[in-house]
Amino acid sequence: MTLLDTSKPGSPEPWGTPLLDVDNLHVEFRTRDGIARAVNGVSYSLREGETLAVLGESGSGKSVTAQAIMGILDTPPGYVTQGAVRFRGEDLLAMSESQRRGYRGTNIAMIFQDALSSLNPVFSVGWQIAEMFRVHKGMGKKAAMAKAVELMELVNIPAARERVRDYPHQFSGGMRQRIMIAMAIALDPDVLIADEPTTALDVTVQAQIMQLLKELQRERNMGLILITHDLGVVADVADRIAVMYAGRIVESADVHDIYARPAHPYTEGLLASIPRVDMKGQELSAIKGLPPNLMSVPPGCPFNPRCPYVQDICREKEPQPPYQVDASHTSACHFWKEVRDGSFR
Amino acid sequence: MGPSAESVLEVRDLVKHFPLTQGIVFQRQVGAVKAVDGVSFDLHKGETLGVVGESGCGKSTLAKLLMVLERPTAGQVKFKGQDIYSLKGKAFKAMRRNIQIVFQDPYSSLNPRMTVGDIVGEPFDIHPEVAPRKDRRRKVQELLEVVGLSPEHINRYPHQFSGGQRQRIGIARGLALRPEVIICDEPVSALDVSVQAQVINLFESLQSEFDLSYMFIAHDLSVVRHISDRVAVMYLGKIVEIGDESQIYGAPSHPYTQALLSAVPIPDPAQRASKAQIVLQGDVPSPANPPSGCRFRTRCWKVQDICSSEEPLLTIRPGISHPSACHFAEQTQIVETLTPEDVALPPAAATQDGLTQDLA
Amino acid sequence: MSDVNSADAAFSAGTATAAAEPPTGGDGASGLPAAGEKPRSLRGDAWRDLRGNPIFLVSAALIAIMVVMAAFPGWFTTRPVGKADLSLSRQPPSSDGWFGYDLQGYDIYTRTIYGARASILVGVLSTLGTMAVGVVAGVTAGFAGGWVDAVVSRLTDVFFAIPILLGAILVLSSFPSDVETPELVIILKVVAALVILGWTGVTRIMRSSVIQVKQADFVQAARALGASPVRIIVKHVLPNSIQPVIVVSTINLGGFIGAEATLSFLGIGLQPPVVSWGIAINDASQYLRVSPHMLLFPSFFLSITVLAFIMLGDAVRDALDPKLR
Repeated sequence: MTLLDTSKPGSPEPWGTPLLDVDNLHVEFRTRDGIARAVNGVSYSLREGETLAVLGESGSGKSVTAQAIMGILDTPPGYVTQGAVRFRGEDLLAMSESQRRGYRGTNIAMIFQDALSSLNPVFSVGWQIAEMFRVHKGMGKKAAMAKAVELMELVNIPAARERVRDYPHQFSGGMRQRIMIAMAIALDPDVLIADEPTTALDVTVQAQIMQLLKELQRERNMGLILITHDLGVVADVADRIAVMYAGRIVESADVHDIYARPAHPYTEGLLASIPRVDMKGQELSAIKGLPPNLMSVPPGCPFNPRCPYVQDICREKEPQPPYQVDASHTSACHFWKEVRDGSFR
Repeated sequence: MGPSAESVLEVRDLVKHFPLTQGIVFQRQVGAVKAVDGVSFDLHKGETLGVVGESGCGKSTLAKLLMVLERPTAGQVKFKGQDIYSLKGKAFKAMRRNIQIVFQDPYSSLNPRMTVGDIVGEPFDIHPEVAPRKDRRRKVQELLEVVGLSPEHINRYPHQFSGGQRQRIGIARGLALRPEVIICDEPVSALDVSVQAQVINLFESLQSEFDLSYMFIAHDLSVVRHISDRVAVMYLGKIVEIGDESQIYGAPSHPYTQALLSAVPIPDPAQRASKAQIVLQGDVPSPANPPSGCRFRTRCWKVQDICSSEEPLLTIRPGISHPSACHFAEQTQIVETLTPEDVALPPAAATQDGLTQDLA
Repeated sequence: MSDVNSADAAFSAGTATAAAEPPTGGDGASGLPAAGEKPRSLRGDAWRDLRGNPIFLVSAALIAIMVVMAAFPGWFTTRPVGKADLSLSRQPPSSDGWFGYDLQGYDIYTRTIYGARASILVGVLSTLGTMAVGVVAGVTAGFAGGWVDAVVSRLTDVFFAIPILLGAILVLSSFPSDVETPELVIILKVVAALVILGWTGVTRIMRSSVIQVKQADFVQAARALGASPVRIIVKHVLPNSIQPVIVVSTINLGGFIGAEATLSFLGIGLQPPVVSWGIAINDASQYLRVSPHMLLFPSFFLSITVLAFIMLGDAVRDALDPKLR
């Protein structure tokens, strides 16, 4: 039995220097049927040792933002049209591709939802982890392999020494995700982006993986961007949360604040619509309607057709840039005050 | 409408082993995947029985067995007293009308080359005795309306709908023959968070409208708790614990149930510090070669010698209110049960009325 | 025929897409279906794609011309096909005979026009034949599974191992034709030989495609409703698994025309009195140095036709493959 204690004080700036700064990022997909604006002016920043959860449904632009940060966006059809991604002050988007490659893996690393398809089936896992050291650090074959074993032990793969020559399909889903994590942290990155790292896993395995990520982050003082749709996982591990909808950040705040007093109707709706394992008999109040088509986002606030509190101004004026609720809390809702203190209820 | 004690499905000692074979022309059996290995339970009229478990526990195979998409290796399933596996021909086809299924994947469960009208109307083509030909179009439109889709969408194709809407189409197809039992195989796990609640609410309203019994299979314990009257927990082909929702969630007695419950993240950061978490070590063993005795013993922290030598039966044990398959079963509260009033809920019931009042 | 072999591997992967939906683009672009647009089937989408594809338009136009030529050769030339004038033997192209004259003094232009019929007949009939055999065998093997699948698959392997030319020589020399044999019978013999040796590719593609579709939830749903196997095959499995076969068959059609020419060139395919490009090429081969025009024109038409069908197949595949969208 292990106690997973992830609580941290919630004051706004205890996390050291800014590490990654996403500034007014715009991404669009030019498809046969038209232009889909997947990311529309997303800004967030990450500090050392901080966990930022980017929460959103499919189509909200949360993964596309991460791909743009990593520079692994499929182009075409995806294009970054505006904005900056600064790593320790250096704009990654202004760099040449070869310069950027130097940052990938060594400074910013990423793990994906589907560990099986992210690993190459024809090479042993040890070889794949060792490759990181051979390519980036110019290590010899033997030394790199020894490093691979070390890393596999670090991510708690039992009998790492024996299993280093096994192939991806010989591992279970949870173990494969551990191997992906081992590869991601191999070069000691400053920022780790985890895109739905536990969505494909069972709940008991999910708990193991989240615990591992949290431990590694603490040891290495990494900044962690956790991309997920799971409000439960977020509540367990995040320091700050950015809620995305239709390619915009509609609310961002400290985790305790946002769960206790959401200031955007979408966040509020999400919290009211999920069943909780520690609760019985609550009525699920579903958010009506569907997320908008990114080719034709409604004018004004993109959430207005689904919003229970919609007013005339919401159909005309988009609440951007977001309102400052307090020093560390923003909301892209004209009526954030009313939502927050519940006077609409 | 509450559940009654009358059983619609009686499942007894159901076993499904998938043979593992070698050789191409002359195949010989070298083993078996014990996907479902001796499962018994009753499904009562009008109730929702939740079945939870992790991947590989046999819950999907159980669904296929109840749908007779697979034939069991041993055991029986009685629908209102009649053994469904012994039926043949017309009687078997007629029986199929009573048990229907809703699948997990809203993308692969609808034929992409058929219109919504053809998909929802197909049950009537297969069972023409249910509805005269001239009524079918109207019936299909009614069904679409029941599940919250516009009847005008009858000529559209599945790819023109979102995941949640497609799941509604699948539900309409399942409802067409007015079944008494619907097997729901992970019906909301592929949906977006904000759409999930819509579909869960639809399941609940259909249950009271059509007096349906659900077997609700899911890996999401929160969803299962919300919708179920009773819950069965499966591990490696066996039910390890079964009982009322309040018994399983409020006083779990099997170590696996306890670990499972403790692993579910609660969407409330305020509970972070207070929450104890049992993190299980290792992975689920292969169902082709399950451990002797108790199947959970390889990951259990209570393990003793008896666990490997003697298989614990699913029975009511001293001090336990409901059947549990553990030699050392012990009721422990893992998660508190809160009621909506306990939690300073965000305005769950933020109704339009409230809004107009405030602004007036 | 190597088209079929290599395409097999490519398409067993491609079949998944035939059954599956256009991806909704996860977190990205294509997102959700726009409300309020008019119903659009997958086939309609493919057609819209094709109409805008220049490769499709060019190849379809070429094929249309060839088909009209095959059906109505009289529209293109007024000279009778059987008229020979030995005094004109091997005359080069002139204003009188645009493509020149061959050894017997036949007008090569007229012979080339008339030759389209045999070539296209062989191509179309062989394609239809391989599709019929291949689809039936592939559906049987894929849907039934078990020992039926094992038997069909091994049989496929056996036929697959026979080199097509060797096999065709074997079949055709077992049933020799002579000058008395009616034209159509000679053509059908060649078609039979190509079908016997060419069905395996289609069978393999169909089988893997059916196995994939068979596991889809919508097939399970139909079974759960009590649908009969025939209904499941006709309504659910066939429409969702036939696409790769259509694509490969279009490409194969060109291959069959080429194979016919090869067989005729070797003297075992079509034989006089049938008029075909293959025979013309065969006749010309001995005079390549002195009268290259005899070879040039029939070869050019042959190449263009084969190319047109292969390009058409490519365009159709791109249009039907939702992954490329």
